[in-house]
Amino acid sequence: MTSPALRSAVCKQIARSSFALVALLLITGTSSLFAQDWFKTETSSGAERIRIAVADFKPSSGDPAAVTDKSTFDTTLYSDLANAGIFDIVSKSLAPQATPGGPSEIHLTDWSNAPASAAMVAFGSLGVQGGRLVVSGYLFDAKNSQYPQVLAKQYNEDSSENSARQVAHRFADEIIFRLGGGVSGIAETKIYYVHIAGGNKEIWAMDYDGANQHPLTHLGTISISPRVSPDNSRLAFSSLGKYGFQIKMYSLLLNREVAFPSTGGTNLSPAWSPSGRELAYSSSRTGDPEIWISDANGVLSRRVTSFRGPDVSPTYNPKTGAQIAWISGRTGLPQLYIMETDGSGVSRMTDGGYATSPSWSPNGQFLAFAWDRKYGPGAPGGQDIYVMEIATKKWIQLTHDGGRCDFPSWSPDGRHIVYANSSSGRPGDTKIWTMLADGTQRHALTGSGGDMPNWSWK
Amino acid sequence: MLLHALVAGSLIGFAYLHPHEKPWGQDQATAGAVQATMVSALPLPPRQRTLDTGVLTSETPSPAPVVAKEKTEPPPKPDEVAIPQKITKPVKVAEKPTPEPPKHPQPIQPPPKKAATGETAGIRIAEATMQLKNGTASVNVEDKNFGARFAYYINIVNRKVAEQWFTAEADPRVSNGKSVTIVFDIDRAGLPSNPRIETRSGSPTLDMSAMRAVQRVDGFGPLPAGDHITVEYTFNYKLQ
Repeated sequence: MTSPALRSAVCKQIARSSFALVALLLITGTSSLFAQDWFKTETSSGAERIRIAVADFKPSSGDPAAVTDKSTFDTTLYSDLANAGIFDIVSKSLAPQATPGGPSEIHLTDWSNAPASAAMVAFGSLGVQGGRLVVSGYLFDAKNSQYPQVLAKQYNEDSSENSARQVAHRFADEIIFRLGGGVSGIAETKIYYVHIAGGNKEIWAMDYDGANQHPLTHLGTISISPRVSPDNSRLAFSSLGKYGFQIKMYSLLLNREVAFPSTGGTNLSPAWSPSGRELAYSSSRTGDPEIWISDANGVLSRRVTSFRGPDVSPTYNPKTGAQIAWISGRTGLPQLYIMETDGSGVSRMTDGGYATSPSWSPNGQFLAFAWDRKYGPGAPGGQDIYVMEIATKKWIQLTHDGGRCDFPSWSPDGRHIVYANSSSGRPGDTKIWTMLADGTQRHALTGSGGDMPNWSWK
Repeated sequence: MLLHALVAGSLIGFAYLHPHEKPWGQDQATAGAVQATMVSALPLPPRQRTLDTGVLTSETPSPAPVVAKEKTEPPPKPDEVAIPQKITKPVKVAEKPTPEPPKHPQPIQPPPKKAATGETAGIRIAEATMQLKNGTASVNVEDKNFGARFAYYINIVNRKVAEQWFTAEADPRVSNGKSVTIVFDIDRAGLPSNPRIETRSGSPTLDMSAMRAVQRVDGFGPLPAGDHITVEYTFNYKLQ
């Protein structure tokens, strides 16, 4: 059964909050709604988001290289803050045209009055001096004329368009960290994904906003389900080779593949423990696909599931590292289960349908997964992204009527979910989309041919 | 010529008569040698400075001074020297008072019911209030300087707790119109701790919902200054 209260709770989750829904659910009652008549209910308290304005930065030098850097910086900073999910951002058309370069040049009343009505203003100056990009960024409280300064940052990097983008990401993260309750922003994180091109599938990487897409592997085969280690040093994935699908390991520091032992059978869907010392994956070395856990080098592997039927797609609880959620077909159609990492305490989460590819939220409270609730020929609905609260097994549906959705992956701040969506249902049309964790602000990050995204841990 | 020949002859003769006892490079135990001492400078007498500008020392004759003919000033033109004018003071004119516009009775504006602290510029009170769906939530910091300096942080605290306040947890009939005050501390990292009820509302469910709201908050972000602050948070329940 779905619950509008849970939806509001996930909305609050975007504001990074821990909460206890039980009492709320007892009071609001459990309204049973059918999945097809969905509507957004809001039981939030009505607290508003911080309204923030972003001024274009002032060029502090006449260097022509600074012009492209500045436009990259301005657009990146604006989109980072707009994508953060915790701000009500003032659109550029409402904001004043002024480009204050420093605290002495800003007139806060222009920003705090209508139509901008901003509570916070981010502004500063950007210049190129001797091949170095020098950025001074400020965040001012527009309502507090006496002590307006909240943040002042200076960055000095080699001048290039990419470093202008990275500096903008860093400044945006700093603002999000200060104003978002001490949760680090995700503007500097990466998304690893599968790029489909002409029958081959390679592992690619991109920034969180879809910029800077570049290939990592060049194996000329089918490589799937990339999973980056918690320290961003290694990437585990499953690749089709001479001995079927095997777990492969790619070092992001050395930019090459590193050794990982092959075993018999089909080995799929690796998952890192939050400590980075263990790797859980599905292996059919005994003839039946089961969840195995090995250390990060692939040795000392042990089996943790033991029922007949396929067991795939493990994901660790990132908060504790002591539990694993995974997909098991022990009762027929694949269902979502959780257990302790030693294989005890198995509990089934979904009551039916066809569930795949779980992803555990960073605070340990939710599971995002793909679910086709009415699976079968002629059944209504399709495969969509759902979020389930583990404590109550209540769920909400995040995507609707957009085609097949699969492979959700949480951002490290728990405010975003990235997933793969194929509007036509054909695998070649699959794109990677991102959305806030309550299903709003959906937009595509890649063109066709992106699949199986995995958000980095930090 | 003769003198030259004499001198040359005497030199040659002298050398012939007094041969050198120990010429250089002889194969003897005590061979002659020349000692040379390196010096960095020769102690020459200082050079006399030649002044070229003095009349006595220069070799060029100095020019004779030019004698200019005395000029007589021409008489002034008739319009060059101004004749002083008679000063006339401007006539002062008394200002005419403009008649005031007629007074019409103006409607008296009712005072605002909402506390607007925290939304006005130059806030001096360390307090922020937020209008919510079912009531208001206001936050108050004991440290007045902190509140004035970091009004934005007070607003963040207000917003974060207000987001977590589920008014549905409070019994609407008993709690309506009541308010509860919770006091808690925020440490350096922005984590709330030690929440306690300062003023009970009389509605246990409202007290509980307020307490839970504070407990649900994960953090407010790092404190901009100081190592902890104490926050007083008032929840006003008012059914809309």
